Amino acid sequence: MIWFIMIAAGLFTFATRFIMLSNGISNRPPQWLVDALGFVPIAVLTAIIVPAILIDPADQTIALWDNPRLFAAALAIIAALVTRQMITTIAVGIVALWVLQWAM
Amino acid sequence: MPKVQNSPKASQNLSAGSEFWAGVCEEMPLIFGVAPFGLVFGVLGLESGLTPWQTILMSSILFGGASQIVFAQLWAAGVPALIVGGSVCVINMRHVLYSASIAAYLRHLPLRWRILLGYLLTDEAYAISIRRFQHEPPGPNQHFHLLGSGMLLWTSWQFSTIFGVLVGGTIPDSWSLSLSFAVPLTFIAIVAPILKTRADLAAAVTAGTIAILGQPLPWNLWLITAAIGGILAGWLVSRLNHQAGATS
Repeated sequence: MIWFIMIAAGLFTFATRFIMLSNGISNRPPQWLVDALGFVPIAVLTAIIVPAILIDPADQTIALWDNPRLFAAALAIIAALVTRQMITTIAVGIVALWVLQWAM
Repeated sequence: MPKVQNSPKASQNLSAGSEFWAGVCEEMPLIFGVAPFGLVFGVLGLESGLTPWQTILMSSILFGGASQIVFAQLWAAGVPALIVGGSVCVINMRHVLYSASIAAYLRHLPLRWRILLGYLLTDEAYAISIRRFQHEPPGPNQHFHLLGSGMLLWTSWQFSTIFGVLVGGTIPDSWSLSLSFAVPLTFIAIVAPILKTRADLAAAVTAGTIAILGQPLPWNLWLITAAIGGILAGWLVSRLNHQAGATS
C-alpha cells in the first residue's frame, strides 16, 4: 500500500512539473491560480512549524511559557532572518533547545 | 565556467558543457541548505517506521523535500492512505507555476528532454536556472544549464538522504526529540526570509492558527485544512490590497 501511494503521489508530482512543458497546454494557468499557488510554501510550512513548536510531544497539550521549543524557535527565526542560511538556523535552534532544556 | 559572461555576443553560443557547468556552479551554494534537509528526512524516515529502502527511494520517486517529510509523518501517525496522498499532492501543486514560467524556454526540445527536465524541476533548480534563462542571452544549449543545476540538486538530495538513513540507525533515542525539532527548524529557515507582504503574514498566521485549533480533527486533517486556509487567507488579502491600490 505504501508503495502504491508513494508512486501515485510521485506520478502526480511529476505531472505538476511536466504539465506546462507537455505542449498539450499552451496557455499559462489563470492568474487567480498563479496567485493562490504562490502562497503554498508559506501556508504548508507554517502549518507544520506551529504545532511542532507549541504541542508538547510528551502529552500532546499546548505549551507556552514553560516550553523550551518556543524560545529556541524564536532564536532560530532571528538566525534565519539575519543569516538566511539553513545550516546556521538549524544549528542555532538545536543548540538553543539543548541549553534551554538543561536550564529550564 | 563561462569565461566571457560580460560579452553577450560570445555567451550566445556557449557549449553544452559550459552551460551545464555554469548550472552546477550556480546551484552549489544552495546545496548547503539542501544537504541538511535531506539528512533530516533520512533520519526522520526511519523514525517514522519506513524501511531504509522506502526512505531512500522516496527521495527519487517524490523528489520534493517538504512533501516527503509530510508523507513520513502522516504515515507514522496511521493516517488513511488517501489523505497522505492528497496532502502530498496539495504541497506539490506549486510546481505547476515553475513549469508554466519555464515552459517558453524548453518547449522546442524533444519529448525525452522535456520529461527529464520536468522531473528535475524542483524549487531550487528552478530558482537558479530561470535566472539564466531570463537575464542572460539565449543560446542553443541553454537547457543544459537546468540539467546541471537539476542534476547537482538530485545527486545531493539522494546522497544526503542515504547518509541520513545510514546515521539514523545509530542515533541514540535521547537525541531523537531534538532531531525531530530539526524539521520545524528547517522550515523556519525557508519561511522566515520569504514573509514579506501583509498577504504572506495573513497566510502564515491563518495556517498556524488552524493547525493548532484543528488538532482534534481525525486523521491529521488539520494539516491539509490549515494549508488550504492559509492559501485562501493569503490570496484574499492580496486581492483586497490589490483592489485598494487600484481604487485609491
